[in-house]
Amino acid sequence: MYRFNYHKPDGMDAAQQLMADAEDGVYLSGGMTLIPTLKARLASPTDVIDLSGLALSGIELADDSLTIGALTLHSEVAAGNEISSLSNLALAIGDAQVRNRGTIGGSIANSDPGADYPAAVMALGATINTTAGAIDADDFFQGLFETALEPGAIVTSVTFPVPGRAAYEKFPNPASRYAVVGVMVAETNGDIRVGVTGAGPCAYRQRNFEQALADNFSVAALDGLEVDYAEFNSDIHASAEYRGHLVGVMARRAVAQIT
Amino acid sequence: MAEAHDLKVIGTRPVRPDGVEKVTGRANFGADLYLPGMIHGKVLRSPYAHARIKSVDVSGALAMEGVLAAVSRSDFPEETDDLGQNVIARDKVLYHGHAVAAVAASTPLLAEQALDAIKVDYDVLEPVLSIDQAIADGATLVNEQMHTNGDASQPASNIAAITKFERGDAEKGFAEADVVVEGEFRVPMAHQGYIEPHACTATINEEGKITVWCSTQGHFDVRTQTAAILGTSISKIKVIASEIGGGFGGKLSVYLEPLAVKLSELSNRPVRMVMNREEVFRATGPTSATWCKAKVGAKKDGTITAATAWLSYEAGAFPGAPVGPGCMSVLAPYDLENFSIEGLDVLVNKPKVAAYRAPGAPQAMHAMECVIDDLARELGMDPIDLRLKNAADEGTQAPYGPKFPAIGLKACLEAAKAHPNYTAPVPEGCGRGVACGFWFNIGMQSSAEVLIREDGTVIINEGSPDIGGSRASMCLMAAETLGIPYDRINAHVADTESTGYCNMTGGSRTTFATGMAVVQACEDIIAQCKERAAMTWDIDADQVDWDDGQAVPKPGVNADVDPLSLADIAKTWGRTGGPILGRASVNAQGAGAGFSVNWTDLAVDRETGKVDVKAYTAIQDAGRAIHPAYVEGQMQGGAAQGLGWALNEEYIYDDNGVMENAGFLDYRVPVASDLPMIDTQIVEVPNPTHPYGVRGVGETPITAPLAATSNAVRDALGFRVSELPMSPPRLLEAIDSQEG
Ligand SMILES: Cc1cc2nc3c(=O)[nH]c(=O)nc-3n(C[C@H](O)[C@H](O)[C@H](O)COP(=O)(O)OP(=O)(O)OC[C@H]3O[C@@H](n4cnc5c(N)ncnc54)[C@H](O)[C@@H]3O)c2cc1C
Repeated sequence: MYRFNYHKPDGMDAAQQLMADAEDGVYLSGGMTLIPTLKARLASPTDVIDLSGLALSGIELADDSLTIGALTLHSEVAAGNEISSLSNLALAIGDAQVRNRGTIGGSIANSDPGADYPAAVMALGATINTTAGAIDADDFFQGLFETALEPGAIVTSVTFPVPGRAAYEKFPNPASRYAVVGVMVAETNGDIRVGVTGAGPCAYRQRNFEQALADNFSVAALDGLEVDYAEFNSDIHASAEYRGHLVGVMARRAVAQIT
Repeated sequence: MAEAHDLKVIGTRPVRPDGVEKVTGRANFGADLYLPGMIHGKVLRSPYAHARIKSVDVSGALAMEGVLAAVSRSDFPEETDDLGQNVIARDKVLYHGHAVAAVAASTPLLAEQALDAIKVDYDVLEPVLSIDQAIADGATLVNEQMHTNGDASQPASNIAAITKFERGDAEKGFAEADVVVEGEFRVPMAHQGYIEPHACTATINEEGKITVWCSTQGHFDVRTQTAAILGTSISKIKVIASEIGGGFGGKLSVYLEPLAVKLSELSNRPVRMVMNREEVFRATGPTSATWCKAKVGAKKDGTITAATAWLSYEAGAFPGAPVGPGCMSVLAPYDLENFSIEGLDVLVNKPKVAAYRAPGAPQAMHAMECVIDDLARELGMDPIDLRLKNAADEGTQAPYGPKFPAIGLKACLEAAKAHPNYTAPVPEGCGRGVACGFWFNIGMQSSAEVLIREDGTVIINEGSPDIGGSRASMCLMAAETLGIPYDRINAHVADTESTGYCNMTGGSRTTFATGMAVVQACEDIIAQCKERAAMTWDIDADQVDWDDGQAVPKPGVNADVDPLSLADIAKTWGRTGGPILGRASVNAQGAGAGFSVNWTDLAVDRETGKVDVKAYTAIQDAGRAIHPAYVEGQMQGGAAQGLGWALNEEYIYDDNGVMENAGFLDYRVPVASDLPMIDTQIVEVPNPTHPYGVRGVGETPITAPLAATSNAVRDALGFRVSELPMSPPRLLEAIDSQEG
């Protein structure tokens, strides 16, 4: 770890001001991603601005939507709520230690290709609420560790419409439990969306699966559908081709759960 | 030898003496010593897998404020052995991560920054990264002076040694066979995966006396190795073994200690050095990647007529792959007339391998036990029946020479056949795989001193670092021998100046050999107590018995006296000759060989290639289980490590010889949620050479799981996958290519 200035503001404005004043600042939530990155010296920010003093935690149900505060822990989402597929997803993140520190805001802001929440954001058509306005799921994830978050903006909460039915299936990395591939299939007000994480540089929707399921919501509808894996991640854990194959398998299993 | 039903303490399961300290985080491990004025050392490691070092210049680091010492090869004697060259590179760096220099500074951060100021000039060479590359014609040489088996009349080679064991005539045996099966197998390089990284603190006093505190399996070996590498006398060095957070063979050689001592000498400060996980992976000993071929022939009734094995092992950058033990183990479970075994010790530009639990046996036995499984299939025989038909037994000549005394292989096989987990049908959709395990175990040298306190309680000092609950076992054996309760005894792992010489904790020798020394030292105490009682009672010592922790007159001796306990004798020892201490030392022979039988039921997800282990059962002959819970723990731990190695663990290298998964987020050891309950059954065929019948139990448990897992996958899929690990992508590829 390199030296940095540590701040723990108690308000949103103070946090953003600190960020604006910093030469190279970074927000800290659960630290489950950021701290290992700092320890490995993959980042050398001048200022670390700890968000844990902000009142951004909690789960609220209103108008058929669940709004989850950015600092809500994975373990709190996993404890159960109106979207059972989302709590199941949270329960499968990492291990108990990670779930007791990691936050939904941190996970989504980070856009790790193997993170689980982004699949739910895509499949449920969530809205990302930030200090610089709300961002639609389809616009949020832009690439490997890249999002539409304005520089210096803070993710404050995520709003998930409660789906009619939804299921998440992931193939976990045998070591970290990050998703080698994770697929969430959801039907919300008649709209079918398939969110995929792990496979590509960032979460995306598998549109041809969505169309096939809209015509015929069944496992068989997905048989033989192509997954274009040309741009998928290829690493020591899995080739792009293997990931492409898993997208189909995980999607079929998710559909099987809810048919 | 005491019969099981006579034992009062042995076989019970008390809490281990070091347990509470460990679970509450108070125990002091290698990195936990803080000394006044202590500074911190860091190692500069090679960025290349193979390169000639043209120069090393540490002056830039030394010029930095807060940097108090820096060392490189020129600070160590030029004449050195492989270990010395591994601790600090000399002419060449031989693997990525090889230590080139080290610095000590006031903070760990500063020490790390100072590494950047060291200038090393390299001539980069082509790395040799596999056995195939190493033994190919015209291969680059890892060591230009290396000749196979030291035969300088032959050209230099990457094959450091070839070992051969032969008996009878294998060709003739195959000709007599009705069925012959063979296979070729690859097992990847794997790390022991101990949780505690290597760590030490070294300090020197004004008289030049060196003290090293470190996490090790053998502090006497640390003393010998450190003295040799520094060119000093062992009398100048005292080594204290800290608590140890796992070793599995990986903490038998020094890596940091000589560097820390040298840095301490130059800075005149205590120096602490702690590896991070990445360094542990890149620069400490894993076990060999192997390429093995196995072949067996048998009659229709299952009688094996011949077997051959060709075992080639990567040694890493220096000779010394555990191929010898591989050769000893590969056919040990079988009584054979005709066999030939050949083993190759092959140099590659990877870290020098270290022992890993039954070093060399899992890889070789994986190959042979897979082929034996295929043979059972060909013959339509139950795999346990086939093994029973050919099993080694008391009197069988082991492939490596001696005749086995009483051994428990047949007892384990019979127990397996009768076990409810084996008689139960294979669950729907699963495959079942069986394999035998073996480790010869060793004896070697141990010492023990037993001291009596003034209140009659007991202290054991011995020299075996406790990696598996051995202090509890020492206390149990002492309690049994002395006839006193377990909780009146404390056992200590004493430093190199506070107990007699002791070999390392390795080869599953501690409970056997150090245990033997402890029992004999307790017998010494008993003999002395009888004399003290005799003196008190004014009778002859041979008229006194030791019964249930007390001196009593022998039956028929005419003495109207009360029995004397240890406490009674201690109370008056001022009048009978002073304090009492017992001692014994042994060079223990006859470590009984340990055999096991394991099987597992598992399912393969044909859509993803993922293996789901549903059930695992391990049966092992422990001779006698001193503390059964710790024997079961060894069996479960070995199964867990073996399953990890079979299914997911491997070193992944890029083309430049740089490990790509040097951390637990990418190097995939199994965790509790990956494993089923591992059922255990201890078989007890006492080892006649140990006073309580002990055999080593620590290593045998990892020798069967690789093959049991492979055989279960074979059973589940209907075809064999011969390369480990059977990771999901590899299995899916195999399934796809099989299905066309
Ligand atoms: C061993 C291990 C296993 C894991 N396994 C999984 C897994 O299986 N699945 C999975 O999905 N994840 C996994 N993770 C990641 C974990 O879920 C992290 O918690 C998550 O990725 C980041 O959340 P955090 O709160 O820790 O964020 P931090 O590490 O604090 O921050 C991450 C990044 O997001 C930024 N950030 C944080 N909060 C905000 C905010 N409110 N607004 C704007 N920017 C913000 C930070 O500046 C930083 O760049 C694992 C992590 C570990 C260490």
